[in-house]
Amino acid sequence: MKDRLAAALRGSRADYSEIRLERTWSSAVSFRGRRLESATVSEDQGGFVRALNKGCGWGIASFTSLDALPAMVARANELSRAVRLDEPILLADTVPQTADAALDLDGDVRGISLAEKKRLLEAYNGAMLAVSDAVVDTQASYRDEVSEVWYANSEGTVLSLRCPEVVVSGTATARRNGAIEKGLESVGLRKGWRSVHGLAERFRTAAERAVSLLDAPRVKGGAYPVILDNELAGVFIHEAFGHLSEADFVYENPQARAMMTLGRRFGKPVLNVGDNGAAPGLRGTLPFDDEGTPTQDTPLIKEGILVGRLHSRETAAKLGERPTGNARAISFRHPPIVRMTNTYIAPGAGGTFADLIADIELGVYACGAFGGQTMLENFSFTAAWGHMIRDGRVAELVKDVVLAGNLFQTLDRIDRIAGDFRWNQMGGGCGKGGQFPLPVTEGAPHVRIEQALVGGDV
Amino acid sequence: MIDRLLDAARGRVDGADALWRREERTSVAFESGRLKAAGVTEEAGVNLRVLAGGRTGVAGTTAAAPDVAALVERARASAELGERLDLVFPPPSSSPLPLVSTYSDAAADASLDALIQMGRGLVERLEREGCQVNVALEREVSETAVGNTAGARGRYRSTAVAVSADVIRIAADDVLMVYDQHLGAALPEAADLDALVRSIEERLEPALTVVAPPDGLLPVVFTPTGLAAVLLPLEQALSGKTVIQGSSPLGDSVGVAVFDVRLSITDDPLAPQRPRSRPIDDEAVPSRTTSLVERGVVRQFVYDLETAARAGTRSTGHARRGIFGKPQIAYTNLVVGDHPVTVGARHAAPLLGGGLIAGMTDGLIVDDLIGVGQGNVIGGTFSHPVALAYRVQRGEITGRVKDAAVAGNTYDLLKRIGGFGSDGRWLGSRWSPSVLLEGISVARR
Repeated sequence: MKDRLAAALRGSRADYSEIRLERTWSSAVSFRGRRLESATVSEDQGGFVRALNKGCGWGIASFTSLDALPAMVARANELSRAVRLDEPILLADTVPQTADAALDLDGDVRGISLAEKKRLLEAYNGAMLAVSDAVVDTQASYRDEVSEVWYANSEGTVLSLRCPEVVVSGTATARRNGAIEKGLESVGLRKGWRSVHGLAERFRTAAERAVSLLDAPRVKGGAYPVILDNELAGVFIHEAFGHLSEADFVYENPQARAMMTLGRRFGKPVLNVGDNGAAPGLRGTLPFDDEGTPTQDTPLIKEGILVGRLHSRETAAKLGERPTGNARAISFRHPPIVRMTNTYIAPGAGGTFADLIADIELGVYACGAFGGQTMLENFSFTAAWGHMIRDGRVAELVKDVVLAGNLFQTLDRIDRIAGDFRWNQMGGGCGKGGQFPLPVTEGAPHVRIEQALVGGDV
Repeated sequence: MIDRLLDAARGRVDGADALWRREERTSVAFESGRLKAAGVTEEAGVNLRVLAGGRTGVAGTTAAAPDVAALVERARASAELGERLDLVFPPPSSSPLPLVSTYSDAAADASLDALIQMGRGLVERLEREGCQVNVALEREVSETAVGNTAGARGRYRSTAVAVSADVIRIAADDVLMVYDQHLGAALPEAADLDALVRSIEERLEPALTVVAPPDGLLPVVFTPTGLAAVLLPLEQALSGKTVIQGSSPLGDSVGVAVFDVRLSITDDPLAPQRPRSRPIDDEAVPSRTTSLVERGVVRQFVYDLETAARAGTRSTGHARRGIFGKPQIAYTNLVVGDHPVTVGARHAAPLLGGGLIAGMTDGLIVDDLIGVGQGNVIGGTFSHPVALAYRVQRGEITGRVKDAAVAGNTYDLLKRIGGFGSDGRWLGSRWSPSVLLEGISVARR
């Protein structure tokens, strides 16, 4: 395969060319209620070429027929030359890399029959259904893959990578007297078959929560001290802050750059945030990004001050900063764009969860995430469930906990961070620019916001 | 390819259907007013479903010259695990497939330069001091073939041209983004591009002034974009999949007047020049128009072959399938409005508020909300912060509101509709005007 890449690159007439070829073997099983929805094995393959010429823009070609590679190399060059630019696109220098990386397959999923995968998922699905008659519906899915990627560019980088992934997810829907509630569980790992056993208890707990929420009151809307659990704090930092730290948001936009000036205070000194594509064993972890730049741990907020951002080679060159290994593509069908990897709030010195809530008379403990969306500086997050905090203790279960607010105000109101850091190893992924789902991980300890708006009955 | 695959399946399985699709996309993207990239995508693949021993299985591949025997075997292996299902592949239609225009030679033949010129023209018209303009154009040409072992066959070509533009203004920590798109099977004409520019200007100008949000139970005009939050629960509830699962709140409501007598919702795969229109669905069921809600009465849910078999009814022709995985239910073109809905050939003139605000003492126009689709959608209750909304006072738009949230329940709100706007338009694959709803809970933050 590398010979094919080298030959195709030699045939390129562009100033800069890069080629990515992929082959992905995957299998998937899904249940809806007691019924098996599908059990399939798929093989997907294709290639991606990107070319750049002086005074011109990017020419991009993607294709499923690998025989078309030489023609697509020529096509990308033509497309690049059709795009005339006054201000050239520059790429920050990187050291050419040569590596063959093969991550541990951890029990090669290709050697396990679909029937065995079905039995595993059936057990987890059954654990949700067995909780109560009120569990009227479930969705459970298992997906695994082994992907092989070959990458080479005209500067001498030649890489190959083989990596596994496995995701098991379940949703339990509980219904009684017209009320409908859901419980979610999801495990996503850059590992294989050996790592997805023994999870029945977690799926049972998710279904039990859906049933408990049926009788739980809606949270009363208003401003409260709010504690985010590890999962929601991770989702929050990814959605509300992480996307603004992607340099493609600011590199062409002077006003955005002013808003995200390095050195600006974003929070109290307790707040430390970063993105670490090199953290071992996580879904967002890879040795190199999709431009062949090695991944790294990039500090974004240090003691409350904005200190960094995430880059591709193009955004780094434009801003005179260094590439961070954050140019990623979900597949050969897309160009690499600036993305997060494993984004985290670092553990703080605020003590334990109990210490965080000790002096809260009335507050909300927001747990898990049904979803989150940010529109630039405004965000909305739906917690999977919540508890009231009364007189320093966790009190009754509440539902419909929606956190909404302004990013800058909210980050600044984070006043205490616990030491109980954890990575949330979930399925799903991040979406941006039509590329979804990109495997990422988020991590955080329990985080206290001194005051935040909780929607519910507004 | 379809015939070869079905021939290979005959004898080894009890029946099969297959879809082959080839797509070519050409795209150009202007970032902050500058053309930065041009791209092409070529993709082809085939999806096969087999029925073996009363169970179904699927397999797909993007390989250029797939081993058909191996593909059939993979689908058969997948079927071994499947549930029992009385799936019947539809025989060839006794009448010819409906005629629907889905292809435009001008769109298919448009040169890269023509797309670049169109984009550059839009950028020039949208550029203004202190704002960033992004424009993207994508032209897709596709060919689809579908067939089954009962002898049904269908084949058609489609084109789609998508033009999207957004204007972003950042002033200190205030970020304003106004977005719109034009989507059609044909190349947009000058009038379509005018409408796109005017729609963005209409919403940008009044947004430059920020005013305090109101508070309380208020009338709200949802623009065609803003309406997504209100309609999403219905889209889920009218799917045969949620109905057979028992999770649709409308499951027992066929023939029941659930909504305001003026509300009608139709799914129309035969709408001319729409990218999701088609003569036949992805399971070889001929396309026809389906009335889902008529004058407030629930009429019909949408089904594909599998959900129809489970529900003991007929497919409504709503199967959509990709190269991988099995067919799923999907709407084609949803037409929402005041009965009888008249879909114009092109956009009505953009009019923020849809002509519905004249009598409004105090209220909002909601164009975009944050977090639509999160949480427990199907129950109909929603609560979202606004992304782009305007305050209306004494019949006039007074400015943009920030830091406000709107909440309500779709099923309650659509029982009484305050009015339909005169600004009906296509937004992707949905046609609707603005809709005035009373008694929306609006909260200040």
